[in-house]
Amino acid sequence: MPCGARSSRGRPVSSRSAGRATRRGIPPVSVSGTSTLVTHTGSWKYIWPVYHDRVAPCNRGCPVGIDIEGYLNLMREDRVADARRLLLAENPMPAVTGRVCHHPCESACNRGMFDAAVSIHAVERMLGDLALQEPLSDSVAPRRDERVAVVGSGPAGLSCAYHLSRFGYHVTVFEAASAPGGMLRQGIPEYRLPRAILDGEIERIRALGVEMRCGVRVGADLPWERVLADFDALFVASGAHASRALGVEGEDGTGVRPGLAFLREVNAGARPSVGRRVVVVGGGNTAMDCARSALRLGASVTVLYRRTRAEMPAIADEVEEADREGVAFAFLAAPVGFHVVHGTLRAVECERMALGEPDASGRRRPESTGERFTLLADTVLTAIGESPDLDALPPDLARRDSGVRVDPLGRTSRAAVFAGGDVTEAPRTVADALGAGKRAAVGIDRQLRARPREPRDADDLEALRFGGGNISALRWLGRDPVARVAPVNEVVTFEELNLNHFVKVARRRDTHARPERARATFDEVNRGLTREEAEEEARRCLNCGVCTHCDVCLIFCPDLAISRNGDGAYRIALDYCKGCGVCVAECPRGAIVMTREGP
Amino acid sequence: MRQVIVGNHAVSWGARLARVEVISAYPITPQTQVVEKLSEMCANGTLAARFIKVESEHSAMAACVGASAAGARAFTATSSHGLVFMHEMLHWAAGGRHPIVMANVNRALGPGWNIWTDQNDSLSQRDTGWVQLYCETNQEVLDTAIQAFKLAEAVDLPVMLVLDAFYLSHTAEPVDIPDQEMVDRFLPPRTARLKLDVNEPRAFGALVRPDSYMEMRWLQQEAMREVPHVLERIEADWLRMFGRRYGAIEGYRTEDAELLLVTSGTVTSTARFVVDRRRDEGEAIGLVKVKMFRPFPTAGLRRLLAGVARVAVLDRNVSPGHGGIFAEETRSALYDLPSGDRPEVYGYVLGLGGRDVTPSVIDEVIDRTRQCAQPEREDVWVGVNP
Repeated sequence: MPCGARSSRGRPVSSRSAGRATRRGIPPVSVSGTSTLVTHTGSWKYIWPVYHDRVAPCNRGCPVGIDIEGYLNLMREDRVADARRLLLAENPMPAVTGRVCHHPCESACNRGMFDAAVSIHAVERMLGDLALQEPLSDSVAPRRDERVAVVGSGPAGLSCAYHLSRFGYHVTVFEAASAPGGMLRQGIPEYRLPRAILDGEIERIRALGVEMRCGVRVGADLPWERVLADFDALFVASGAHASRALGVEGEDGTGVRPGLAFLREVNAGARPSVGRRVVVVGGGNTAMDCARSALRLGASVTVLYRRTRAEMPAIADEVEEADREGVAFAFLAAPVGFHVVHGTLRAVECERMALGEPDASGRRRPESTGERFTLLADTVLTAIGESPDLDALPPDLARRDSGVRVDPLGRTSRAAVFAGGDVTEAPRTVADALGAGKRAAVGIDRQLRARPREPRDADDLEALRFGGGNISALRWLGRDPVARVAPVNEVVTFEELNLNHFVKVARRRDTHARPERARATFDEVNRGLTREEAEEEARRCLNCGVCTHCDVCLIFCPDLAISRNGDGAYRIALDYCKGCGVCVAECPRGAIVMTREGP
Repeated sequence: MRQVIVGNHAVSWGARLARVEVISAYPITPQTQVVEKLSEMCANGTLAARFIKVESEHSAMAACVGASAAGARAFTATSSHGLVFMHEMLHWAAGGRHPIVMANVNRALGPGWNIWTDQNDSLSQRDTGWVQLYCETNQEVLDTAIQAFKLAEAVDLPVMLVLDAFYLSHTAEPVDIPDQEMVDRFLPPRTARLKLDVNEPRAFGALVRPDSYMEMRWLQQEAMREVPHVLERIEADWLRMFGRRYGAIEGYRTEDAELLLVTSGTVTSTARFVVDRRRDEGEAIGLVKVKMFRPFPTAGLRRLLAGVARVAVLDRNVSPGHGGIFAEETRSALYDLPSGDRPEVYGYVLGLGGRDVTPSVIDEVIDRTRQCAQPEREDVWVGVNP
């Protein structure tokens, strides 16, 4: 560099190359000659994202095996008719379960940890009611030659009959009572489940071609062996109708009666006299139904329960409604005797209990304290549980104390005999019974077709389940109607959601009749949500684990490597995806995962 | 329209009158009021700008770079740790020749945690390629905010407007807010020379090989060299339209001075007061306010300081291991003056972390400069109690 190069303005001293560059006209900013498409950033990646739909916790939580997330998503897309079809494909009685199910789906709902669980039961109920008002014509599989007998027309029997009928079988349902419905009709009061609703849903099952023979008690009116000879398979779902005894002296005497017998009478339309004061013993749903029915007959009612409110097995909403309507509760108390004067029940002798160590059920065990007190009572209704009448079942069925032993597809120890619902050891809920009926239908179909889909039963079954929950009839038929990129049977946890993309929205509350009016009649108490409210509520669904084509991945991709196909699905341009994982981190619902293997 | 407003709101008003189109900011004391007011203006419709909320200052500047590349007039404001967190993006803004304007409220850096004024945050961004303008009053803040866009867009360089924490940011002063119509005439909408175009997609800031990188830096240097002349023209227009002028550098009562103070920011106002008093007492003393730190106003400073016996530079900042940063730059500017014209430069570090620089502190500086025949080998720290 010569000395003279340094001027007052500090002019540059050109080397030859720099001089040439300047003469070529270097722009002030570096600008590429073309777009960045020439830069294949995809070569940097060693892991990359894959769209990977998974299972929402509600679906796994549902004992019926309903694709809840699926139908809520269809609702969000304003495809209400498709939502009804998807719901009805798995659940024959949504208007019933929308009213009486204990909705474990809502307990499992991830949204519960965000603001409040989606009111799934109310959406289901609205769809169920809509299906009754405006029936959709639905095709069923071609008819088959085999005939299946179903004994018992409660939720398990009806569910099995419904699905078998949709699978193409001739189904005959035998019912000992004069009308079908089992415990739905005999046990659940009208103020919870109006008979028009129940009749409507049963009618829909009948309309599929299911034959219903009521007033026939199989085993008594018709020998089991005759049924087994006439049909290719048998599903026993005769329920649990025997009220458990208290084991207290005098319980067979005047004024003391099984709650279930009382309910059966009330639910048949009778209005038995119960006197002014009624004491109900027990903390389950039967106890709540007895208490609220007795209230409607004009009595003042006290529920006697040996543990506390927290341990009550009844649905919490039922307890709350009973409380609101004026049912009194005596917790930590058990009956020990009855005061009968001149042949008339006057009072119940009770003992105070205290909670001890947890028992096998995980609840704290009630223990005697020796302290006594007396409750005045004209009628005592016992509701401490029901058992199946195992003696009335076909012979040679393996059983345990609490019911018939079955495998997950409802198979008993006897060939071609299946069982489900309360007659087995399953949890005694409507939803579990509906789910058992569906599993047995699949088991029967599988057996009758003699075509196991997989060599091993367990694997076969797992593929049909919603993430370890109940099985899907549509998956069994190979007709899952909701397009899923890669259905993976794992449940998405709350932690896998990206809550930044969601805003808090209050859960819509069901409308209830005012307690003072409700307790005066057997009219339905819970009026549910309007169609508009239910549609809004469905939009609260976070669609855990399932791509809703929300475009968040597309927007956040720093390489613009994500685009939408004509069918709305996303395409990742692997030439440009550099495997940064931003889409996975940003996906609101955990529907994308990073993988080393690729799609 | 005259209003009594704080310095932060003077910034907001300046940005509003300049009709900024994109604002991206992250809150930090003592700057937050600037963008709060702007977000209000966006919300109530008095400013038609896109306000982008971001998760950090780094992203705030990144968003401004994107907006500016797309041809928008972009603005942000920050302070202290927010500014130094932006550091990488400051290079992107300057190297990419994006005429972004940013207000930085001078605040000391931690630790120890401190929210008061100090110039080390902006001075530590000296070499990022931003024009830096240090203001003395709220009026100057507002006027400079508008001028900054015109300057930035004329030379395609980003401009940082700097104001002292609390002494300006939170102190209310009467400020004349110019008419929008007049400002529109002064500052027409931006016409970007180079901007992103979806119809002809290209990448900005692409790879540059050694055979061209240096030329790009040279062009940046050339643009910096244009700044004083452009600013002078802009200020001439402003003076004509609004009756006010500040200058990249300002001499105050410099006539026949034996001692000149070199100041920046609000210390200048206090120093003016002391100079006036001492002039009344017959001392030949004045001051030189340095408003523009980058590009450094070497020529102007040489013109004002040549031939003065002693110069005392007041630095509300320090380059640890060296000294006051304005003092260093001043010495460097004067170094090759003929020895007879070259003043002795006395450097003083004071007022760090918001410590008050009162008239008596400045008196102490002046007295000490008068007493010492030679400057100390190192700059003197004023008022330190070790």
